[in-house]
Amino acid sequence: MSFLEVAHVSKSYSGAIALKDARLDIAPGEVHALMGENGAGKSTIIKILAGVTAADSMAATIDGKPVTISDAQESYRHGLRFIHQELNIVPHLSVAENIMLGLPYPRRFGALVDWSKLNAMARAALDKLQVSHIDTRIKAARLSTGDQMLMKIAATLISAGDNMARLYVMDEPTAALTGAESRKLFQVIEELKQSGASILYVSHRMNEVMEICDRVTVFRDGQTIATRNLSDTDKNEVIHLMTGRDVKDSYPPRRTAVGEEILLEAKALRTVQVRDVGFQVNRGEILGIAGLADAGQSAVLLALLGVDRMQAGQVTIHGSPVAAKNPSAAWRNHVAYIPRERRREGLMLQRRIVDNINLPHLQKLSFAAGLLSRRRERRFADALGKKVRLKSGGMNQACYQLSGGNQQKVVFARALGDAPELLLLDEPTRGVDVGAKFDIYTLIRERSAEGAAVVMTSSDLPELIGMCDRILIMREGAQHSIIETDGLSPADLLAKFYD
Amino acid sequence: MISLFKRYGTLVGFIAIVAFFWFNLPDTFMTARNWLNISQQISMLAVVAFTMTFVMVMGDFDLSVGSMASLSGITAALLFSQGYPVAAGVAAALAMGILGGFFNGFLVSILGILPFVATLGTLTMFSGLAFWLSDGKTIFGRDIPKTFSGFARGGVDIELAGTLALKIPYLSILALLVLAAVWLVLEQTSFGRRLYAIGGNYEAARLAGVKVRRLRMAAFALTGFGAAIGGLMYASRVASANPTQGSGLMLDAIAAVFLGMTMSEEGEPRVLATLVGVLILGVLDNGLTQMSVDSYIREILVGAIILTAVASSSVGKFRR
Repeated sequence: MSFLEVAHVSKSYSGAIALKDARLDIAPGEVHALMGENGAGKSTIIKILAGVTAADSMAATIDGKPVTISDAQESYRHGLRFIHQELNIVPHLSVAENIMLGLPYPRRFGALVDWSKLNAMARAALDKLQVSHIDTRIKAARLSTGDQMLMKIAATLISAGDNMARLYVMDEPTAALTGAESRKLFQVIEELKQSGASILYVSHRMNEVMEICDRVTVFRDGQTIATRNLSDTDKNEVIHLMTGRDVKDSYPPRRTAVGEEILLEAKALRTVQVRDVGFQVNRGEILGIAGLADAGQSAVLLALLGVDRMQAGQVTIHGSPVAAKNPSAAWRNHVAYIPRERRREGLMLQRRIVDNINLPHLQKLSFAAGLLSRRRERRFADALGKKVRLKSGGMNQACYQLSGGNQQKVVFARALGDAPELLLLDEPTRGVDVGAKFDIYTLIRERSAEGAAVVMTSSDLPELIGMCDRILIMREGAQHSIIETDGLSPADLLAKFYD
Repeated sequence: MISLFKRYGTLVGFIAIVAFFWFNLPDTFMTARNWLNISQQISMLAVVAFTMTFVMVMGDFDLSVGSMASLSGITAALLFSQGYPVAAGVAAALAMGILGGFFNGFLVSILGILPFVATLGTLTMFSGLAFWLSDGKTIFGRDIPKTFSGFARGGVDIELAGTLALKIPYLSILALLVLAAVWLVLEQTSFGRRLYAIGGNYEAARLAGVKVRRLRMAAFALTGFGAAIGGLMYASRVASANPTQGSGLMLDAIAAVFLGMTMSEEGEPRVLATLVGVLILGVLDNGLTQMSVDSYIREILVGAIILTAVASSSVGKFRR
């Protein structure tokens, strides 16, 4: 019998359907993958299970008995625990205190905290997970992201009591982890599984799912498409279930030749974060920037945008020197930018789609004296929304209601608004699903074919090779080399990152 | 249901307050004369609150508006007493407002001081400056020209059937004009849209090419300008200026904007909603005074009503 079964789950946000009669069942002691493109409804069902969002309708049973999940406390009492991408940790407190957070601390003389006992309890929780390398006395801020996650999992063990943890919901847990940290997490997942708990594992990473999960449920457009034993299926079938089509050639090929004219040239560029950067980009060319994490890839874009002040060197566009003083001047010069963190740096989440798209273009949408023309605004945003194939409940919808892929499309619509000559893209497909990724690649290709120069960073190496003509390698803030992508393999590229 | 309550709770509350006074003061409350009276009483607060909306849209606020209002009144009155014409005194007071506002904007936007700390500092500075300039005394009597104090007493006469029926005070008309101007700028221009964008996500607005620093300065300057207008209106109304007369405006103005914010779905300040906030405060003051309620009790009630409005608008905020 299933541990948890939810069926007929429906939810819509002001008209936009997020879930339509979805279903999910989880057996005791299994690792169950939940997969689907962005916007398929994964986040919504997680929020419903967590009691954060109320479903419009739902039939839920636990151990075969009907239950409700009307708020976070009730979800907790059912034994559901949530490990999110963005962890709720208190960085200034010690690991032990973070593990014991929300529970009565052990006392001495009735009033003073018994620190050694507190540390011992936290230690015991970590030991249960076979995690011995974390010191419970240091501040949580000093832990790596992976260790912080293990700390959070340990915290769920302590709070057991009457409300034993029975299901761990992990939303993209490995997104910010290194390979070694992921391995450690998988061991911990195995421990949890042995103890009889279930895991609902949400991830875009197919290889991980294949490796550690027992069954997979695939969502598409808010509906449950299928549940399969992973031993009876393979990658291709899962992708097919997710997208409704076979994804063979993920990168749209270049159809036009690279232009002759040099559009962007940087010479001996230096900022606080980077040095010795020099390159040229022709019209119609796509230049990638790659390297190990934080080797200065993003910082090159920030210098070109005028966020980081140039300490030395020169940047020319069309052969004339531009002192990119600030982002405002850059946008005026037809430079468009897509930031790395779309929620923090890209969008005004509470505001409407139309406001988000039009922001840098308000000047040309207004009459004299800065009076806005509603009609022009609407038309402008509509045309761009169509161009990027935005799926939304209308241009007046607030951005926080959109899926990650569609949010990224809003940011793209904004960037493409004024026919940019230079596109600066920082991880343009980060956290975006397969289908939306392809749309974004197509948009980049189109703009490039129209004569724009593109500079993009990415940590997805096949993506860089598939999209770029040349790749600039950064090492520790300095330019190392520029290589052609013709015939380059991801392994070759990766090798260039190291000495 | 809950969302309806959230959205319209404040408006319903306002109507309930009006109904309450109508019922309890059947002869005097719901008359054109009384409403014109209210409109005049709230006109100064209204102007300050409307222009306060500029900075609150960006998530900032300005604590110095009250002392700026006092300073503006003192500035004008001092020039009057030196024999300068009315226009010169008014212009100097308004310039003082813009200058003070820019200074606030400079502290917040260029130096990066938190608005709370920055405007707390300038509140004290402006207030001290007003005391120093006036020597701590009230400027009144012959020093204040009749044309200046006459403005607050004057109005547009409305005749019905050949007899003088009503007089719409100039102060109320001025407040309405300011309302229209602020609405136009905030809701219909790219400038206003950019201020809302800054409030929505400062970093995203900056990276999308919005000149965030300059706009923030400009918004503070407008708020200072509005405070100076409010101060002049006050000085005209009481035909005198003293260095503390504007001090009550600041808390009421911020309260009015907060009351208004409870009416928007996303909790954003809107100037028309600010008007409702101002009206709630004004009607309460007027009605309770007429019912001879102790002014201390009035303050307790006003505070409780603000808290009720804000609390009811956060009902169910965590479930959507």
